Amino acid sequence: MGRPVAGGPGPRAWVLRLLLGLAAWRGGAAGRSAVCSCCPGPVRNGSSVASYCAARPALELQGRCCLSREPEPGVIVGLDLGNCSLTFLCAGFPDANTAVVIDLTENPLGNIPNTSFQGFTRLQSISLPRALECPGGNMAWDLNTTHGDSRTCQGQRNLCNSSGELAWLCPENSQCSPDGPGLVQCLCSGSYHGYKCLREGTFPLLLFYGTLGAVTTTLSLLAWGSQRRKAKAS
Amino acid sequence: MAVPRNLRRQPANGSLVSHCTHHHIAVFLLTFFSYSLLHASRKTFSNVKVSISSQWTPSDINTTALELQPYELWNSSHLFPNAEEATLFLGTLDTIFLFSYAVGLFVSGIVGDRLNLRWVLSFGMCSSALVEFVFGTLTEWLHFYNKWFYCCLWVVNGLLQSTGWPCVVAIMGNWFGKAGRGFVFGLWSACASVGNILGAFLASCVLQYGYEYAFLVTASVQFAGGIIVFFGLLISPKEVGLPELGEEQEGSAEEDANKPLISNNEEDEDDQNYSIQAPDTSNQPKAIGFFQACCLPGVLLYSLAYACLKLVNYSFFFWLPFYLSNNFGWKEAEADQLSIWYDVGGIIGGTIQGLISDMLQKRAPVLAISLLLAIGSLFGYSRSPNSKPINAFIMAITGFFIGGPSNMISSAISADLGRQELVRGNSEALATVTGIVDGTGSIGAAVGQYLVSLIQDNLGWMWVFYFFILMTSSTILFISPLLVREIRLLLHERRLRTRTG
Repeated sequence: MGRPVAGGPGPRAWVLRLLLGLAAWRGGAAGRSAVCSCCPGPVRNGSSVASYCAARPALELQGRCCLSREPEPGVIVGLDLGNCSLTFLCAGFPDANTAVVIDLTENPLGNIPNTSFQGFTRLQSISLPRALECPGGNMAWDLNTTHGDSRTCQGQRNLCNSSGELAWLCPENSQCSPDGPGLVQCLCSGSYHGYKCLREGTFPLLLFYGTLGAVTTTLSLLAWGSQRRKAKAS
Repeated sequence: MAVPRNLRRQPANGSLVSHCTHHHIAVFLLTFFSYSLLHASRKTFSNVKVSISSQWTPSDINTTALELQPYELWNSSHLFPNAEEATLFLGTLDTIFLFSYAVGLFVSGIVGDRLNLRWVLSFGMCSSALVEFVFGTLTEWLHFYNKWFYCCLWVVNGLLQSTGWPCVVAIMGNWFGKAGRGFVFGLWSACASVGNILGAFLASCVLQYGYEYAFLVTASVQFAGGIIVFFGLLISPKEVGLPELGEEQEGSAEEDANKPLISNNEEDEDDQNYSIQAPDTSNQPKAIGFFQACCLPGVLLYSLAYACLKLVNYSFFFWLPFYLSNNFGWKEAEADQLSIWYDVGGIIGGTIQGLISDMLQKRAPVLAISLLLAIGSLFGYSRSPNSKPINAFIMAITGFFIGGPSNMISSAISADLGRQELVRGNSEALATVTGIVDGTGSIGAAVGQYLVSLIQDNLGWMWVFYFFILMTSSTILFISPLLVREIRLLLHERRLRTRTG
């Protein structure tokens, strides 16, 4: 049985959201430590992550991560997994989807499936072993440079704008938006919401029931007054 | 056989006007709108089929090159793997509803006059509204989609809704004497079509918010109607001290059996059952049993004829919006509003053809001609172009030619069977026979719903229309004995007239 996104209002949705929010916060805390401590040691001194972090005072280092302090505390901005002897990505890798800079160089990584980068919309620079392709292919990045043993992909392109390779046809009432390097998603546009963006606007429950209640009461009183008041047997 | 016209007409006009009090008007309006509301909520289900089908299935893989993201938004509902299976299940739900409705009708005939009609009617309306709310709105709010749950709820809904028609007809029968009955019932029987129009209108208005709100609105309005009925409905004139019907009218059992009681698409059954409650005081011959009633000449033929015609009528009722949006790609809300024209045609057809047959005093020729033209209009409708005005026009014409006979076939049958030597004046046989005829009709309609979704799934919409044409032809075939008899009578009368005049 599928469970589509809850679109309507109501106490149940609010409770769900509250719980999810708590879980995310706690999960964020756990995830922060999981992927940041996936590889031992601190962020390497010469890495792109270190230089990115040092240039911005609002960021702090923790384990292999570069976290932001404000406005969103604890959010991963940079991830350095270089020289970690990884053959595949860490289990907590999706938690780093807010990262702007990622370093995966000097790892015996196999081919990374494109879906590993789903949700990495803020990613602007990723360094990989030279043997690997840029995630999403060449077309997903503005700049693709190789430097010795590593490859650096910079400037994630918004594939929704390009009309050519991926002429994206999102279904009715939805619009294309980026979902990571080489990935797009269809989100509901405007006031549309709910499963498959079928629903538009919110139903005026109060107005409806108010009117119905008033009309029913009036008509019932009218009917009873004119008809049944003198009724003998029930 | 035929009662001379002037003898029949005069009492009608006289007593109708003199006996009409504001109580009569209130009863007319309350029963009219209570049945309309019951019918409106049935219509809601057929009008939101496209939206429900979308809700139950993941996105169509064939039309999009890659799998759509995010998953929760486009693919997370897997109740049915594709739209075709969902359609089949929707047809199954219609069939289940009609079967339980038919069973409920048989039962209501037995239970109805033992309990207080007002309580039964308001209970039926309110509880049916609650079931519809759970079916359409609650399951969506809780995201609980389960096939067995839907089936069970719809069975219960069918049983609860079947209490409506017997009660309203019984109450109308208590208030409106035989005198004005033909005219009043003719006007009153438009309630089902008005209910269809109301349901279609309400559904199309709120469909944009989600199909669950269409169910919410119609269920709430139906519940409110149940409350108003409970507070305002008078079951019989006796309740306010007015004279009962039986006390004013004497010795007209034969006239009553003669007078065709015009009834509507689905239910003429208990129509007879309750309307003849009053003149039960005269000495009656023994009631005929169920199997004896079945073996009466013509009962089987007319049951089958009605089954075929009710199938076509109900298929239009249940599947028209789905056909319009499926075949032409029109938005579901627009399709809902357009399907109203079929009911408009049905109301006009029923009224006009009833009037014509009243004037000619012969029903079968009017029926046969209308059914032949119905075949033509069905053919024309199946080839209707993708243009809303033209489609609506042909749809109204089809409704005119199918709705009219549907109204009349039942009244023609009941009147004709009432005139037979064997059962003349025997009200119990009439009720049983009408029950058989309408019960068979309902079962035929139920089977038809499943067949429609099956044919559409495997062969396409054109074959569905051929199926309808086949059914309409079968109706003509089944009523041909009656037709032959009436034509012979017509010629005989004309020969008599030329001889005497």
